[in-house]
Amino acid sequence: MIELENVSFCYEGNEALRDISLSIDEGESVSLLGANGCGKSTLQKLINGIIFADRGTYLFDGDEISAKTMKDARFAKAFHQKVGFVFQNCDAQLFCASVFDEVAFGPRQMGMDEDSVAARVEECLELLGLQDLRERQPYHLSGGEKKKLAIASVLSLNPQVLVLDEPMNGLDPRTERWLVEFLHELNHAGKTLIISTHDLELVQELSQRAVLFSEDHSLAADLATTQVMDDIELLKRVNLIDEYYHRHAGEGHGHYHIHNYHLE
Amino acid sequence: MAVPEWLLESQDFAPPVDKDGFINRSILSFMRLLSLVRAQERRGGGLGRLAVNPFFGVLCTLVLIVLVSLSTQLTFVYVVLAYLLVLLCVMPVRDLIATLRISLAVALITALIMLPSFLLGNHYSIIVVPLKVLVTVMAVNILARSAEWGRIITALRRFHVPHLFIFILDITLKYLVMLGEFTLTMLTALKLRSVGKNRSKQTALAGIAGTLFITSREMAEEQYQAMECRGFDGEYKLYDKFRFGLADAVYLLLNVGIVAAFVYLY
Amino acid sequence: MHIPDNYLSPETCAVMGAVMVPVLAVSVKKVKEEISKARMPQLGIGAAFVFLIMMFNIPVPGGTSVHVTGAVLLAALLGPYSAVICLTTALLLQALLFGDGGILALGANTFNMAFVMPFVGYFVYKLIRGRMRSEKGALVGLAIGSYVGLNVSVLFTSLELGLQPLLFHTAAGQPLYCPYPLSITLPAMLIPHLTVAGIAEALFTVAVFSFIKRVSPGMVFEGEQESRGTGPVMGLVVALVCLSPLGLLATGAAWGEWGAGEISEVVTDGEALGFVPLGMQEGFQFEALLPDYSFSGLPEVAGYILSAVIGAALLVIVFRIVASLVRDKSAKNGAHNATQSE
Repeated sequence: MIELENVSFCYEGNEALRDISLSIDEGESVSLLGANGCGKSTLQKLINGIIFADRGTYLFDGDEISAKTMKDARFAKAFHQKVGFVFQNCDAQLFCASVFDEVAFGPRQMGMDEDSVAARVEECLELLGLQDLRERQPYHLSGGEKKKLAIASVLSLNPQVLVLDEPMNGLDPRTERWLVEFLHELNHAGKTLIISTHDLELVQELSQRAVLFSEDHSLAADLATTQVMDDIELLKRVNLIDEYYHRHAGEGHGHYHIHNYHLE
Repeated sequence: MAVPEWLLESQDFAPPVDKDGFINRSILSFMRLLSLVRAQERRGGGLGRLAVNPFFGVLCTLVLIVLVSLSTQLTFVYVVLAYLLVLLCVMPVRDLIATLRISLAVALITALIMLPSFLLGNHYSIIVVPLKVLVTVMAVNILARSAEWGRIITALRRFHVPHLFIFILDITLKYLVMLGEFTLTMLTALKLRSVGKNRSKQTALAGIAGTLFITSREMAEEQYQAMECRGFDGEYKLYDKFRFGLADAVYLLLNVGIVAAFVYLY
Repeated sequence: MHIPDNYLSPETCAVMGAVMVPVLAVSVKKVKEEISKARMPQLGIGAAFVFLIMMFNIPVPGGTSVHVTGAVLLAALLGPYSAVICLTTALLLQALLFGDGGILALGANTFNMAFVMPFVGYFVYKLIRGRMRSEKGALVGLAIGSYVGLNVSVLFTSLELGLQPLLFHTAAGQPLYCPYPLSITLPAMLIPHLTVAGIAEALFTVAVFSFIKRVSPGMVFEGEQESRGTGPVMGLVVALVCLSPLGLLATGAAWGEWGAGEISEVVTDGEALGFVPLGMQEGFQFEALLPDYSFSGLPEVAGYILSAVIGAALLVIVFRIVASLVRDKSAKNGAHNATQSE
């Protein structure tokens, strides 16, 4: 479904993606891992057609996504309907005056009549547990509610692929837990997920496959999640963890964390 | 969790055409703004490779613009043009191209505006006004592309601009970037979700502008609180060292030459 | 709407700048009364806000888009005095660092956009809001206020431009700055603003204001105490607005080499304006534009040197641009080859 071949991208003279080749199939759930500034967000923007490769090609369902092909407004819109993007900064993603309008923005654009729009919005709100906030102003919601609303506003377009940039950032543990399960469910329902994160604990629950960036903006590894978690040297090499991290192994479930008493 | 049925099926959707080029145009102007601001952050404090004190840069540019504006002698404008071209020669090639491009564009537009008056028998404006516009825009662009903007603003202090006003300018510049990036993200989000026909485009833009205002007010409040915590009482003092080097001497000498040319030709 | 340099005479710029000095002084004083000194940073953030608003492309029917100024919106949100300071700051940065609008013309540009527009707009807005005293009244007032504010500001811009050929021309009658008389500048600037841009500004202002009012009603400026001060201040504003063109005429006459009689002659003469056909003896020499290495008013040697400097500098510039393009291309090709060979 998503085919990236030798993709590179420079941002104002600075290299942001180096020679990335990646293929993602329909229904997969992929985590993008890497230290800050390694290119995860840039790759997500590229997958969403916000920026375009300087070199290399990007195919979506066999169609090339480039500055040239995206000049065609109809093609671009059809593509944007298929790939949804949840920004890291939800504040910047919400611009309507009520929660209802925010979720209805997409369906209304797709020419649905107001009854179908209302039905779809209600189902979306219910799915994310936002039904009581219908008339509230998005601006004044809490961080977790804003994240849920941002997801609802993208889901109402019914995209095939959902790209999430650091979705766990700034969420409390309970909401974080809820989101992990929600995303799992969504993937189960057939949606392709591409999630960037540096939360090692959640990676193996979020996805089967992990793509690891090295600090020179190229790909360091593309493995099953469980394998990445086993390779502590690899994680150290890409500067995602330092020597204080260690792992408690369980049956098929392990996690990394840091103990205070190691810091003497 | 009950996933609604429509979410399990793929959406059958053929986008209609909509005249929403305004989103892309707005995005482009914000990207241009941000890249301009970022480019100057990488600069040092001097006038191009000459490293001239920004105070002299602002002073001489101002004098130059006044003289060009006052002059009725085309020859003087040529003298200034020659001088600016020499300055351009020592600028980084990226800034050189950008300066030439913008000043030629503005001069060309001016020439077009002046064209009808030429047909009415006015032969002065069609040549002189675009040329003057060319050198003025060139002079300002050379100044703006010569140093980090914070230092240019600080240089205004020596023209007895009140400290408080310089402080406000500093804050404006800083928040221009933060709020500009925020707006760019909002516009991008709008673009990604604009998959069809938007029947109320004004509402979407008003939402972005309104959110921008509310965010800016909250940032202002936070900035104020953070400054108060660090003991800010509304007094603002600037500290900078005054430099004078060989480059400054050469630069001033060149500008004295310009003034002499003006007086001589007058 | 941003007038570049050399469209207005330096004298005009000086007059407009001089008018802005008391305006700014009064605004600073008023703002200090309204907000504490330590809260001044919010003016900078307000300036950044309005700077960004000016960059939005607002859709208008027909698929094109226009820019708005946001001046009256800012006056309604922060109050007119804060708006003056924010707008002046934004215009100064645009002129000095972004090359948008002239440096000398800053006085005129701030007069039109940072003073006339927010004040006239706010005045109309308050007048209507006061009469209607309802939520709707505020919005109607804002719509009319922003429309009127923009167009009065454009009126001043076109007056300033249109007066140039009357006041500043060579002895032979060739205009030195903007060459178009009022009969051209007024319709050329006012018609697009009265029709398209004014309506876009009004719609946008109302839409943004009602969004903010709905989401964060506490953030809207509620206005100074009705009893105090607005009357006289408004009177001063109106007086300044009326007087400044007169001041312009006065300085113009003092500067020019002709008497008041001649001005009236030019005015009544209307469109002719004394443009002198090609081949005039005095003043500007058209032939000097195509010199064989000679510039009028310079000794021959100096002319040679000047031509040489321009020529050499142009050569260096062309060479450097070509070199950079070649380098870019070869860098790209090199990289391309590298990827191919892998």
